[in-house]
Amino acid sequence: MVEMVSKDNIENNTSSPLKKRGISYKQQDKIAFMILRGFALAIVLLLGLMIYQLFQASAPAIKEFGFSFIYNDFWNPIEDEFGALPFIYGTLVTSLIAILIAAPVSIAIALFINEYLPKALGNLLGLFVELISAIPSIIFGLWGLYYLAPWVKDSLTPILKSTLGFLPLFSGPSFGIGILTASIILSIMIIPTITSVCREVFKVVPSLQKEAALALGATKFEAIKLAILKPSFSGVMGAVVLGLGRALGETMAVAMVIGNSAEISKSLFGAGATMASVMANEYAEADSEIHLSALCLIGLLLFVVTFFVNFFARSITWKAKMRGKKV
Amino acid sequence: MSDVVLKVNDLKAWFDDFNAVKGIDLEYKRNTINAIIGPSGCGKSTYIRCLNRIHEEVAGAKISGEVLLEGKNIYAPDADPVEVRKHIGMVFQKPNPFPAMSIFDNVVIGPRLWGERNKKNLEEIAYKSLQKAALWDEVKDKLHQEGTSLSGGQQQRLCLARTLATNPPIILMDEPTSALDPIAAAKVEDLMMELKDEYTVIVVTHNMQQAARVADYTSFFVLGELIEHGLSSDIFTNPKNQKTEDYITGRFG
Amino acid sequence: MKLSPQRKFKNLLFKFLLTLASVSVLIPLILIFNFLLQKGSMALSLDFFLNEPKPVGELGGGMAHAIVGSLTMVGLSALISVPIGILCGVFLSEYRQGKIAAILKFTIDILTGIPSIVIGIFSYLIFVVTMKSFSAWAGAFALSIIILPIVTRTTEEILKLIPKHVREAGLALGLPKWKVILHIVLKGSKNSLITGVILAISRASGETAPLLFTAFGSMYFSDKLTEPMASLPVQIYNYAISPYDDWQRQAWAGAFTLILICLGLNISARLFFKRKELKKFFVRKS
Repeated sequence: MVEMVSKDNIENNTSSPLKKRGISYKQQDKIAFMILRGFALAIVLLLGLMIYQLFQASAPAIKEFGFSFIYNDFWNPIEDEFGALPFIYGTLVTSLIAILIAAPVSIAIALFINEYLPKALGNLLGLFVELISAIPSIIFGLWGLYYLAPWVKDSLTPILKSTLGFLPLFSGPSFGIGILTASIILSIMIIPTITSVCREVFKVVPSLQKEAALALGATKFEAIKLAILKPSFSGVMGAVVLGLGRALGETMAVAMVIGNSAEISKSLFGAGATMASVMANEYAEADSEIHLSALCLIGLLLFVVTFFVNFFARSITWKAKMRGKKV
Repeated sequence: MSDVVLKVNDLKAWFDDFNAVKGIDLEYKRNTINAIIGPSGCGKSTYIRCLNRIHEEVAGAKISGEVLLEGKNIYAPDADPVEVRKHIGMVFQKPNPFPAMSIFDNVVIGPRLWGERNKKNLEEIAYKSLQKAALWDEVKDKLHQEGTSLSGGQQQRLCLARTLATNPPIILMDEPTSALDPIAAAKVEDLMMELKDEYTVIVVTHNMQQAARVADYTSFFVLGELIEHGLSSDIFTNPKNQKTEDYITGRFG
Repeated sequence: MKLSPQRKFKNLLFKFLLTLASVSVLIPLILIFNFLLQKGSMALSLDFFLNEPKPVGELGGGMAHAIVGSLTMVGLSALISVPIGILCGVFLSEYRQGKIAAILKFTIDILTGIPSIVIGIFSYLIFVVTMKSFSAWAGAFALSIIILPIVTRTTEEILKLIPKHVREAGLALGLPKWKVILHIVLKGSKNSLITGVILAISRASGETAPLLFTAFGSMYFSDKLTEPMASLPVQIYNYAISPYDDWQRQAWAGAFTLILICLGLNISARLFFKRKELKKFFVRKS
């Protein structure tokens, strides 16, 4: 027989035939594993370093203001007095309104794509929705500043005032930029996130129940309500919370249209600021140490909040998916 | 050179706590075809996967016992599993050509990654291996198409060629024809017979006719235990064990 | 069986509402494109692509320095993060049983969710504070932390698509595991990996917040990585909120350029992937 391949033949190596000369394969694989593990550990350490650095930089502010930082509502860089309540308020209000708008729309789109549209058309619509998430935040901001804000001022505000003007939410003058405009922009930006997670959640709902409902004479609406929306409720909640997580941390688009004033405005037409937007606006210009530290503390708070929100969202969507797979 | 190429002593294997192979002792002679039959879940697949140390790649796998290749234990502490697999090749149930890789690259990947850089030599290896796998005539004009573009039967013969290119004295086959249509399966069967001249083949099969047709020796496994082993002619015509007889006559399994 | 008019109506209304939502989501997309196309393309000129800004008050000038700056920092961050991200993805997919893999997965999940502005602060604390200057390095570092989890996760998911028995076939040929991963698993996923990397880069090219106080910005070409460097998104931001008409005009031009880059990368990544898939399909059929 012709030896086609040059390799260590068994007979050549009498002492220990199944051992490679030089660096053994076992050692090679061990080295490769060590390298990979090294990088993995480095990334874990990087996150640790990030948390440590944020704490370190926030320490002066924590020491100075303690818990009052969260509930004090004045933010005065000149007097070096800092309370983050206006930004916490701004973040919560804009994110909640964004969710109120985006959640129903996203769920509707996900259902429309999954249940009504033929596959090719559904994928096309899905692609368009995903393209929204590819648009940089700064461009949303630019568009919001020069297009949406005037529209809110000139078209949306009169309508809202004439119908819902009796509510304090819709009182006072509108300059276009403000909480409402920021919320609308945010809602557009988080639609892709909620839609795509909803689509995944709906996909794992077994179609058997829906078909059974249809066979029993239910309308499509009833079948979807019973056999898709109900069983996937927690998964949809997860998607919405994930959208919330994105909204909380969104920076540039909000910073450009919210008006950036550290006040708590009852009216949605008023100006405000969010935790992310105040960092973007003031960080580069902050000159006192305590100001920087206060901004870092806001960053740390935002980090902690988004961490818990994302964690919560992930655990419920994960559970929902597992349940869907089990059925 | 001794006539026995592979000797298995008290081989046991586990998945976590599940004991899939329960103490097997067997010998395989050079240039023979050896079939392993048995009802599904009998541990025959796990057993054959212990013979080239691929079972241990599964999470939770444990193995004890000895497998002597030419008298050397492949489970010795200083034995390198990669080196073992160079000598004991394997063809799997599902045809699995490497993705996004041409037919040519699929065949020569073993030698090439062992360090053979010479293009002429690689071409020679590809030619010989594809010839032996009876695939050369079908693919010689499209060596640079992707391996996954072939039909199922061709893909399985490509996988065989890929194994032959590394020229292992022993070739393991884990239900190599169960995913193929009868015509493609018959071609692979014919190949096994031809390979006997140069290689020792150990094949797991769920197909008793196949075992009876191609194998010199047949082992019958039930629930991780070896029930009977002997010349195929004996096993299929004159089984000594009642369980074997029940199985081959279709009353059990 | 006959449906009551009420049920029929509800069914129709539901469908109508779903259609309405789906159409309405396209409206902002169209409006944004229309806006950029009208304002942006008008403001574009050769000058815009070739020159750095002129002093305040003088008309003309461009964003060439910012385009080059963006390319530099995004390129640097990709050089750092793509290899590390792929290695981490390999670790998650090929060594997934271990404890460290679980910890890494959790870490990557956290990193994905961190607001980019917070990453900017981190980079500021690491680089700007210690080097006492805004710098391109700080910007690139921030961007690389944004790219890293994306590359890692896509790599992990892509590699998991390769069936286990393919890896076993590689091992059965007598190849060490690292060669199986490198030459069979990674090479076999090359196209999808490229797609994932391009998507991550497109994401980084549009990021503004993490650059604001790391790379900061500049009005000149800069070839020093230890100095502040302009980038397209930050330049757009600074011009957009400026009071000068000419700068606002340039912000639109910049935005038009940026969206062409981002969407161009995004779409080409998808097409690249699709085309290869299509080809495979075609070959198999023939």
